[in-house]
Amino acid sequence: MGLVRYTLWRLAQAIPVLIGIITITFFLANQIPGDPVEIMLGPSPAQEQVEAIRARYGLDRPAYERFLNYLAGVATGDLGQSIYYDRPVLEMILLRLPVTLYLTVSAFVFAIVTAIPLGVISAKRRNKPADHVSRIVSLVGVSTPSFWIGLMLIIIFAFYLGWFPARGLPLPWASPAEVRGAETQLQVLLTSLHHLAMPMVALGTLQMAQITRIERSSMVESLQGEYVTLARAYGVPESTIVRKHAFQVAQLPVITIVGLGLSTALGGAVLTETVFEIQGMGRLIITAINNQDYELIMGTTFMFGVAFVGGVIITDIAYAYIDPRVAYGDES
Amino acid sequence: MTDPLLSVRDLKTQFFTEDGTVRAVDGISFDVYEGEIVGLVGESGAGKSVATSSILRLVDSPGEIVGGEIEFKGETIFGLEEDAAGDLRPRDEMLSESEMRKRIRGREIAIVFQDPMESLNPVFTVGGQLREFIEINRDLSEAAAKTEAIAMLREVGIPAPESRYDEYPHQFSGGMRQRVLIAMALACQPDLIIADEPTTALDVTVEGEILEMVQELQEKYDTSFIWVTHDMSVVAEICDRVNVMYLGEIIEQAEVDDLFYDTKHPYTSALLDSMPRPDETVDELRPIKGVMPEAINPPAGCRFHSRCPEAREVCREVHPEARDLSAGGEAAHTAACVKHDAFDVGYEESPAIETEATGGFSAGFTETGGGAE
Amino acid sequence: MATKRDSPTDGSTDTEGTGAGEIEARVGLRYTLRQVKRDTTARIGIYTVGFVTLIAVLASIDNYVFDYAIAEAIWYSPVQDPEQVRRLLPPVGMENQYGQGTLEHPMGTDHRGRDIFGRLFYGTRVAITVGFMATAIGLVGGTLIGAVSGYYGGRIDDVLQRVTETIYAIPFLVLVIAFMTAFGRDLTFAMIGVGITSIPVFNRLIRSRVVSVREEDYIEAARAAGVKDRNIILRHVIPNSFAPVLVQATLQIGVSILIVAGLSFLGFGAQPPTPSWGQMLSASRNYMLPAPTFSLFPGMAILVTVIGFNILGDGLQDALDPRINN
Repeated sequence: MGLVRYTLWRLAQAIPVLIGIITITFFLANQIPGDPVEIMLGPSPAQEQVEAIRARYGLDRPAYERFLNYLAGVATGDLGQSIYYDRPVLEMILLRLPVTLYLTVSAFVFAIVTAIPLGVISAKRRNKPADHVSRIVSLVGVSTPSFWIGLMLIIIFAFYLGWFPARGLPLPWASPAEVRGAETQLQVLLTSLHHLAMPMVALGTLQMAQITRIERSSMVESLQGEYVTLARAYGVPESTIVRKHAFQVAQLPVITIVGLGLSTALGGAVLTETVFEIQGMGRLIITAINNQDYELIMGTTFMFGVAFVGGVIITDIAYAYIDPRVAYGDES
Repeated sequence: MTDPLLSVRDLKTQFFTEDGTVRAVDGISFDVYEGEIVGLVGESGAGKSVATSSILRLVDSPGEIVGGEIEFKGETIFGLEEDAAGDLRPRDEMLSESEMRKRIRGREIAIVFQDPMESLNPVFTVGGQLREFIEINRDLSEAAAKTEAIAMLREVGIPAPESRYDEYPHQFSGGMRQRVLIAMALACQPDLIIADEPTTALDVTVEGEILEMVQELQEKYDTSFIWVTHDMSVVAEICDRVNVMYLGEIIEQAEVDDLFYDTKHPYTSALLDSMPRPDETVDELRPIKGVMPEAINPPAGCRFHSRCPEAREVCREVHPEARDLSAGGEAAHTAACVKHDAFDVGYEESPAIETEATGGFSAGFTETGGGAE
Repeated sequence: MATKRDSPTDGSTDTEGTGAGEIEARVGLRYTLRQVKRDTTARIGIYTVGFVTLIAVLASIDNYVFDYAIAEAIWYSPVQDPEQVRRLLPPVGMENQYGQGTLEHPMGTDHRGRDIFGRLFYGTRVAITVGFMATAIGLVGGTLIGAVSGYYGGRIDDVLQRVTETIYAIPFLVLVIAFMTAFGRDLTFAMIGVGITSIPVFNRLIRSRVVSVREEDYIEAARAAGVKDRNIILRHVIPNSFAPVLVQATLQIGVSILIVAGLSFLGFGAQPPTPSWGQMLSASRNYMLPAPTFSLFPGMAILVTVIGFNILGDGLQDALDPRINN
């Protein structure tokens, strides 16, 4: 009951933020120098032609009117028309978004699955060799540019060892006809995972490192909690204490970090997609910028914002699910 | 007299820190008999809590029990012996860590902590936590443990225990949480419950209710208690016998009436003077002067001499061991103060010295009138 | 009880006060330096950061004062193609196929025949400048917004916090890219853009400190004594947040260097021929098979620099916050 209400409340809260994102995006897109119509029509086009195009895309209207039109459009699911490709922006985004989400979510799965054991072991064996190793791994992880990890992985595992493909990322649910070398859906899935491995590691390493750090410090704190001492005093086995009593409380800051890390990861996806030549949202925004495709730039930027806000809401709900104090509204 | 349930002899627990060795508990001895409530009193930092966690062998690094003996119902919780090379090692009969966990903690000796806000895990339901501890310590099935947990919640006076069973700690008030913790301790049916300042964080009215409830339940279940507190009025209300701790040592030990009406140690007198007493009307309360010194470098001689209103030169030199000062036939009453004739170290002849209590080090804003009454 | 009344009412003795004042008295600059000297990790961090910064300073001097005369004398100019080679050359790795001895080009040359070591050396300048400047922008902006927001509360707080929240709601690399598309693709706007995206971090830090400090006795006392709001914020509240801000700023420099490298990799930021690490990595992508070291070394340079700032940040945190230290 509390959780459902909390979810609705959280969703309602997102609306002004989304309007804010649109405002910023619109403002930035309006500042872009150069005339998109010129780019579209090539040098020295006929005057009537220019005006026709301007009228068609509403570029002849004053800025505030275009802004309100755009807002109204977004509210009804219309992100406008790509000037360069002459296709609806939403349609183009929906083709690319799944790839980026697939990559980003996988990166987080990789990060969480490796970071939690590392962090817990580190906290449990504080200041012992295992702890030092895990701390060095996470220090290097937060200090390494993700795109460079990508380059190194390609050099080693694609070029020298030939274990993984260096470019592209087919979706696991793509039809076998679209994926080279795959005849069945299972082969599509395997090909997809094969392609996924390196970009996932490249993008996930930073998250892994950050989660490890927070998991460690959070577990250290939790293990010193009085409820842990109480559990010990009642003869609860140490393994149960680590797995259950200390662990669950310690995940709260971890969830927060995962939510905030989404911002870095979605930005990192732009780089990772560039390195591995993956046709996702990141490549789309870069293409849009190179083509000075206003509507597409606004649409992709807005979508990145939506993806992040959505991710944060999901992590907030997960937080409320674990910590009953949030959903019941006693503490904010 | 029957054998004590718990017997602590010359217990020493130290913390090895960067700044030096902290002698948090420095050679304390006391007994707890079946069915009695034994008080452990002293200011914060006197070593009370370290003493109680030592009994459960739950002292965290960098702390360590370095000496002494703890016997519980004939079993050795802690005990060292010298091996052939002269090094200290645990005695063979000393319980292993897993025996402590399986046989002693919770099952035989349960604990209630000071802060009910922190002691319950915020992300699990109150009932779930209670049930888990009952399951572990009484070998009950999940369903049976749940029934027992609800019965116990009712027993400690929590209304509508069936529905509150599924609620989370933050939905309980401080007093209710402390009741839950007491239910937890009693539900495991231990022989001894260590209550580590369980009412300190509570309102006075709630404290009163809880003390009353504990007394009733203690009579009903005949469980022994070690009641740790700094509050003499709590001691007066609930304890049968009292141990007064100062800087890691027990400086006076007596039955509760003897302690109040025949106080033998100046520190105990100072403690008694510093809080209101229901049995006496005083014009003003007298706080104990000065601050308790660090346990890293305790003062030489009597540890209390720096704050003692009756300190003499000899107190700086002689470190008094507690002695039984009771007259023949009376209950034991030990104290560690050389002003008593039994010590015979020349207290009377020794010149008085200036201390924090006599105004030598810091003149307080309330002048102490005469000495002890 | 009586000592509570002794809270100081003028700025000169605020660090001697009760409560927060007493703790904060320990976090001045001199105290920080003393603590850092005692902490091994922090020391390693400070040496690394100092070393990289020194290189950046040397490179800048050579650039602005001597117009790469020193670089020319020792290696080749990091910006000009040697001997006017206008065609692209295959970059060479450690085993030199271009004719030069490996000693001359310890890390090989790039696709235009330029010495990689030299370019790395001069790329330090871009990384360090951008790291410091972007962080400074975020620090000043975030501190101002956070302090005003936290001190005044109410509607001002609401508006400012909604705005920073919105900035935070767009993944920051995407935001900076959009920002640079709108205003300009060179390094200046990279700095400003990254600086703006780090405003929310400092804002949150300062705001929460201000909100908690605002209620302290000595602030109340200062207000009662008629000290102006602006002076209270500047002389009491902000100095009291010195320790956490210093830690955050150090870490943020590392983050900024990473972001700017990423931007350069995408073609936003330092424009050729100015040497920058991210752009070197971008150029190296076409030569990963024949010259893997071309990709290797710029990444290592970023890694070492950022690790330096992270170690220093962690060390500062340990040194300044005895509770976290074990």
